[in-house]
Amino acid sequence: MIEHIGPQLFNGLVLGAFYAIVAIGLSLIMNLTGTINMAHGSFMTLAGYLAFTLVSRGTPFWFALIAAPLILVVVGVVVERTLVRPLYKREPFYSLLMTFGLSLMAEEIYRLIWGPNGVPFSPPKALAGAAHLGFMSFPTFRIFIAVVLVVAIAALALFLTRTRFGLRLRAAVQDTEMIAALGTNTQVIYAVNFGLGIFLAGIAGVLAAGMLGLSPTSGNALLMPAFVTVIIGGMGSLFGSVVGGVLIGMAISLTTLFIPAASEVSMYVLMAVVLLVRPRGLFGEEGIFG
Amino acid sequence: MKARTELLVSAATVVLLAAAPAISPLVHLDVSIVSEVLVTAIAVMSVNLLLGYTGLPAFGNAAYFGLGTYGAALSVKYAHVHFIEAIVIGTVAALLGGLILAPFLLRRRGIYFGLLSIAFGQVFYFIAYRYTDVTGGEDGMQFPRPDAVLGGAHQTISELGFYYVALALFVLVVIAFRSVVRSPFGRTLVAIRQNEARVRYLGLNTDRFIFVALLISATMAGLSGALFGLLINFAYPLQLDWHQSGYFVLSMILGGAGTVWGSLVGAFIYVIGKDIISTITPLWQIFLGALFVACVLGFPRGILGSIAALRARAPDTFTDDDVNAAFDPNAPVEVGRGA
Repeated sequence: MIEHIGPQLFNGLVLGAFYAIVAIGLSLIMNLTGTINMAHGSFMTLAGYLAFTLVSRGTPFWFALIAAPLILVVVGVVVERTLVRPLYKREPFYSLLMTFGLSLMAEEIYRLIWGPNGVPFSPPKALAGAAHLGFMSFPTFRIFIAVVLVVAIAALALFLTRTRFGLRLRAAVQDTEMIAALGTNTQVIYAVNFGLGIFLAGIAGVLAAGMLGLSPTSGNALLMPAFVTVIIGGMGSLFGSVVGGVLIGMAISLTTLFIPAASEVSMYVLMAVVLLVRPRGLFGEEGIFG
Repeated sequence: MKARTELLVSAATVVLLAAAPAISPLVHLDVSIVSEVLVTAIAVMSVNLLLGYTGLPAFGNAAYFGLGTYGAALSVKYAHVHFIEAIVIGTVAALLGGLILAPFLLRRRGIYFGLLSIAFGQVFYFIAYRYTDVTGGEDGMQFPRPDAVLGGAHQTISELGFYYVALALFVLVVIAFRSVVRSPFGRTLVAIRQNEARVRYLGLNTDRFIFVALLISATMAGLSGALFGLLINFAYPLQLDWHQSGYFVLSMILGGAGTVWGSLVGAFIYVIGKDIISTITPLWQIFLGALFVACVLGFPRGILGSIAALRARAPDTFTDDDVNAAFDPNAPVEVGRGA
């Protein structure tokens, strides 16, 4: 049992990185517009299927990893401009309901196109083996996933803090009217921000398809842990999402090892404890959604 | 609506419902489907109290609904309780669930409340899903419909008998619901939805009001869940899932949020529509999803809400306490609300 703890902790880290990147995508969209994107999981599934289709037509995995999220962004921005945008002026739960409806439709459409059961989507041969790290060995693909996810999160952080557009985006989260009054086209910000969240979902979706399997509902399985991540990390804090994701990933993989039946419930217990101590979540910011 | 018109319409609705078992065979509907409409309407009302009147995005009511079902199912299967006792046990189980979750949910408002209720609601889903030995896990559990025992006399409950039990309970719930939302307590809930900060300034502890509203809502959802379990003699984890909560919210919007009878109208369309469409095509989910999208984008006041809005165009029937007006897409969103 004890010798499994090392690999299992690393597993938890990889899982946590998934939760974090999904949660960051959700948070980006939620912080700016108050939209809880219930279709986030469906977008991830779609990215997985797009990559699956590309790879089965002979394109290399590396290309699919970039192309599938980019196609997804186009779909995402079209959805945002046509369906989500009219709801910005309304109460936030309307967009929640609407995206929920979208995810119901998407699930059934995936079933129609790609069949009701899972499809085999395995990582390329170069990433198929295991890496020996001296004290333990670990699947190469998972290490690759961890690296990609960390790079993606770091790139996003740089974008948000070092570029002019990123700064505008963060300013819009704080005060959309003011940034509009200063001459920024906020509709562009809304669209780009949504696309950014969907892009992250796309990357996570392709990688998750390779690690956790691909079926019409596979993306939705990551949605609930991502919600819990947002709550634990605190709304409005991207750093909080990273910490929250890793905490949940660890909690789930350790309980899977010791008390398998409680593996899902463990994250909710963690969430309850965090909320008792810090109602805003670990790094929640004052003022953003109270 | 004027008091006399309202009384007439309500009485006509109840008479129509009482005659429904005679009408439903004519349109090839099983009486159990009509029972399902009534039972679902109670759950939709529980969402209506929180979202329609108080403005709290209640996306976790399936948890209480499912607790009601599992409370009834487990007590029938393992303790062999009778019909009435099973309903009571299911309802109390949901109330207890509400008591556990309310302190957490109370802490936040707006979409954060929605997130918390979705997330905490899932705990019960996973418990039912995982504890296969007791709950049957993913496959769910079947149990016989118990007899009702009153004063030593055993009475089997037929589908028709069940319908009238459901109708009686439904009418009781509607009367109770209407008294609650028309009471000073209910008015305060509406005030909280409009501007919680002001209600606080008036010296009212809004947390306490929301706490009570949550418990009432959980109890109603539990009653609905217990009845639903006894109706289909089956309990399965998806009843506890947040998808189920979403269906309740959709039904509420469809019928008319913040209206007493809207829940029945919404439940009727949802249950009957699902029954009809799912027999025609296996792609029921696409229609349901499209219904969500269309309803949110084009019809947010719902059926009864839209009728009320049309009537309100005439100056003499205008009332400024139209709760449903808040669901009008053109209604201005008050700054600072939901925070």
